[in-house]
Amino acid sequence: MRMLVALGLLTVGGGNLVGQAAVQYEHFTLDNGLSVYLVPDRTVPVVTVNVWYNVGSRNERPGRSGFAHLFEHMMFQGSANVGKGEHFQLIERAGGNLNGTTNTDRTNYFEILPSHRLNLGLWLEADRMRSLAITDENFENQRETVKEERRLRVDNQPYAAAFTEGLATGFDSTSCFGYSHTVIGSMDDLSAATSPDVQDFFNLYYAPNNATLTIVGDFAPDEAKRLVRGYFGDIPRGAEPPGITCAARFGAAGEETVWEDQLANLPAVLIAYLVPEHKDADSPALSLLQTILGDGESSRLNLALVRDQQVALQSGAFLDSRRGPGQLIGFAIANQGQTADTLAAALRAAIAEVAANGITPAELTKAKNAFRRNFVFGRQSSMGIAENVQHYVHFHDDVSEINTDLDRYLAVTAADIQRVAQRYLVPANSTTIIVVPKGQGVQP
Amino acid sequence: MKIITLRSLIGLVLVVISAGAAQGQFPTEPPAPMPLTKLGFPPFREARLRNGLDVILVENRRLPVVSIQFSIPTGSVHDPAGKRGVAEMVSDLLTKGTATRTAEQIAAAIEGVGGSLNASAGTDFFTISATVLADGADLAFALIGDVLRNATMPDEEIELTRRRILSALDVERSDPAAIADRYFSRTLYGDHPYGTRETPTSVRAITADDVRSYAATFLRPEGSLLVVAGDLGLNDVRRLADRYLGEWRGRVPARTYGEPPLPRPTEIVLVHRPGSEQSNIVVGNLGLRPGAADYYAATVANRVLGAGTDARLFLILREQKSWTYGAYSSLSRRYDIGPFQATAEVRTTVTDSALAEMLHQLRRIGTELVPDSELGAAKGYLTGVFPLTIETAQQVAGQVAVQKRLGLGDDYLEKYRDRIAGITAAQALAAARTLIRPDSAVIVVVGDGGKVHEGLAAIAPVRIIDVEGNTLTVDDLAPPAGVLALDPAQLTPRRDSLRVMIQGNPMGAQILEYTVEEDAIVAVERTMIPLMGMNQETRVVMDGATLALRALDQTGQVGPQSAETHLAVADGRITGRAQTPQPGGQPKVAEIDTILPEGAIESSQLTSIIPALALADGATFTVSVFNSSEGTFKPYAIRVDGTESVSVPAGTFDVFKVVVSGGAFPTAMYVTRETPRRIVRIEIVGQPFVLELAR
Repeated sequence: MRMLVALGLLTVGGGNLVGQAAVQYEHFTLDNGLSVYLVPDRTVPVVTVNVWYNVGSRNERPGRSGFAHLFEHMMFQGSANVGKGEHFQLIERAGGNLNGTTNTDRTNYFEILPSHRLNLGLWLEADRMRSLAITDENFENQRETVKEERRLRVDNQPYAAAFTEGLATGFDSTSCFGYSHTVIGSMDDLSAATSPDVQDFFNLYYAPNNATLTIVGDFAPDEAKRLVRGYFGDIPRGAEPPGITCAARFGAAGEETVWEDQLANLPAVLIAYLVPEHKDADSPALSLLQTILGDGESSRLNLALVRDQQVALQSGAFLDSRRGPGQLIGFAIANQGQTADTLAAALRAAIAEVAANGITPAELTKAKNAFRRNFVFGRQSSMGIAENVQHYVHFHDDVSEINTDLDRYLAVTAADIQRVAQRYLVPANSTTIIVVPKGQGVQP
Repeated sequence: MKIITLRSLIGLVLVVISAGAAQGQFPTEPPAPMPLTKLGFPPFREARLRNGLDVILVENRRLPVVSIQFSIPTGSVHDPAGKRGVAEMVSDLLTKGTATRTAEQIAAAIEGVGGSLNASAGTDFFTISATVLADGADLAFALIGDVLRNATMPDEEIELTRRRILSALDVERSDPAAIADRYFSRTLYGDHPYGTRETPTSVRAITADDVRSYAATFLRPEGSLLVVAGDLGLNDVRRLADRYLGEWRGRVPARTYGEPPLPRPTEIVLVHRPGSEQSNIVVGNLGLRPGAADYYAATVANRVLGAGTDARLFLILREQKSWTYGAYSSLSRRYDIGPFQATAEVRTTVTDSALAEMLHQLRRIGTELVPDSELGAAKGYLTGVFPLTIETAQQVAGQVAVQKRLGLGDDYLEKYRDRIAGITAAQALAAARTLIRPDSAVIVVVGDGGKVHEGLAAIAPVRIIDVEGNTLTVDDLAPPAGVLALDPAQLTPRRDSLRVMIQGNPMGAQILEYTVEEDAIVAVERTMIPLMGMNQETRVVMDGATLALRALDQTGQVGPQSAETHLAVADGRITGRAQTPQPGGQPKVAEIDTILPEGAIESSQLTSIIPALALADGATFTVSVFNSSEGTFKPYAIRVDGTESVSVPAGTFDVFKVVVSGGAFPTAMYVTRETPRRIVRIEIVGQPFVLELAR
């Protein structure tokens, strides 16, 4: 028995997993276009109110980068019936948690509350959707806060600029401005923005027809519907926002850029491979490939670069699978005395190995089990389920895939994984970013 | 049959929707709470195995996840005397290999099923936990059973763990919050287990035998608790526990705590940390034992006082007065008596005001009834947040484990919200009066003693120590008066070659050359670190008798930036220009024209001055140091921290360990005891940067 375990003779469960982890949802749309999903579950007296606005940094136009993220801050500065900072205080006093996040593809806001405060969460979201206080003062304050955040997070952390701006260089700003700039935006654009610009952005994107509200947890559906209609029903519909075009630039032919980083002590390498949109049929295979390549102590990159060759202090891979073209990124941080070129070569070789010789059955099993684990664990909490629903609404053609998607992943074969490695993880489809500590110059 | 036209259908729909909206105007006030849903905590099943292991199952079939939490009533409370750190090392080592599985195999096995496996040791409890999908439960039990009984703890892994802990301790020495916590616990608890912490000495003293015998002695089933939450039935749990843990036998030896010191009148322990920009304040006293009847009332009072950003300490010290980034209070519940404490990190100049305000608030909460609005907000938070802490299987397992381990009663979780909701202002007041005792409090302030001592002395008696715990007097806080006694004869003509090590790898070299001229001593230091693009030469000319600075010239490159400093001293003034490369990208330029007091040195002179001091074990010195790149003077504290033997490429030497603090990082310099003295090794504390004599 112990030998079998040691050899990794594992199985992948399936069975009635999907049945157990199935999400039962109800959907309706208000007259003004607000799309609402209800997922009642009366087990624990907790409820999550979760709103996704269909706007991310990919919707920004040249000269106005950083708006979507700036908005995330503005949304907590008060509205007609809520004072500055009061949103946060009201939720905390109720014993709740809250936050908002922006990425390239969407902006979310959520409150996790004890279930008897559902009405508070809904009321707060409705008040700011209908009457956010966009004043010169609020705008000025938040602009400065965002610039400070940029200084703290991007400018003051080693490797941060490479992982944000560096990765954006894989996209061309004329054919795909959306993904060719960072979420936090440029200091210049932030400085040039005016209060009317901000009001226009709000009117266009923060409208009920551009939002999806999901309520998960301990609530009575009829009560929730009554509250939603009462609070959101008379918010006027907005204009249809413009679409986005992104012709991702393939055939980058191994483009390489060098970033000087004044805070990093060691060189690092990132290689970003362009991958198709999340909906694409190849996405499950790419996801499992990323796990095998770069997650955990037994991953290919950790074993090859960190343990065996000892050229890297740390090495892994992550997948940014988006509503538009995305990236699979392999990265490594150099060990003492190693050059960026050695690192890049080792990274490419480890990746090429998968393309050339495929993966083992044990690796396939492990990747599927890791996916299953994340899939199931993500559905333990009301917030996890809410984000799940929102994901299927926005990233997939039909929300009903929330209960069938796991099967796609469990059906991936070793041949599929090798095929996608051969198709996407090739130099001609990559952008390489070499990070050198400031003052070291480019390595020979 | 009436035909329903599309028009009338739309009309019907519109009526329905607008009926909903027309229920009323949009409310201009936040809505009142809806009725509270009953918190139905899932029942648990209990069993006891033949080997004495207590098993609790919280069955939840909603999702195929299982959380396993193993709690053994042991921890650093059982560390052998003088060897604090054994339990922590054991928790690291447990998963690093057994008789039949290597560390890699254990990691691969648990990752292979999409699970996780961890072990950790606190003072009172040693925990092993695993979370898996239901079909990984068998493997999780198999691995836990294996590591608990058959961990081999190889020597290489022991050394890796030891090094990790020592590095963490090193970093802690420059963290004022950790320093404050260390001295607060020590003063409050004395020799009680909660008063002790790991030290480099205790960790270095630990042997392979210590860790292996700790595991064999203390990791036992009888007295231990296994909590399983999730998708398993009691029969499955019994079967798995019997199969993988059934052969395991023995009782965990009892824990003994002793009595903490009796409370004394309030005293301030001032930990002098020269140059601190902020002071870290901790005020507290002994708090509650688990199961204390007034726990709920005390929790409500503590919430009002300082358990969040909506509490008095935060709102007053930060929002109103802008003295601090955060001020809080906490009531810790442990197996034995836990502490109550209030903490704040404040600007140096307002240290005494902040402490006075904190003490005022601590008195107030025990003497004035809390107004309804604050009481309501506190209870609202505590009852509200509770269900958020039991959403997942892991959270449930954790909470049940706490309930059982601390003996809080089987209905503790179920009744928690109701008990909190029922607390009155009078009860909160009574609890606060008993719990919070500012008149017999332990107060620790870590900060710049020279600046804060006087203000603190007006509040309560002050006892001064340094960061290492050595007693100081008020005089030790003052900047130096007078000149250091120096022996220039120590700086004999020589050419020392040192190698620069970064993270343990040779990265460059430093040549230090002394020449003696007629009435001057010249020190030339050349530093080359190719990877940093550094190539720099510093030339210091000093008076042959007093080592007073005459001239300083520095030229060179650090990456694309040039260093260019030329300073001269005449008639007690130092003048010139200093251009110093900065991490920020642009070199800093300072025009210098200032008095150089007698006895003050420039920072580049430190490596010349230190060997020339009257070094002796335990000797301390202070010197005023001028940093020409900043244009500022700062008092540096120099202390001889014992003698030892160090091996460097040039040989093995008996040295004084000289610790210098006051600069950007504390630095340890190892100076030969044999004269003429030379520095054989320099370490920067908290940074992986070392210079060692090569030739």
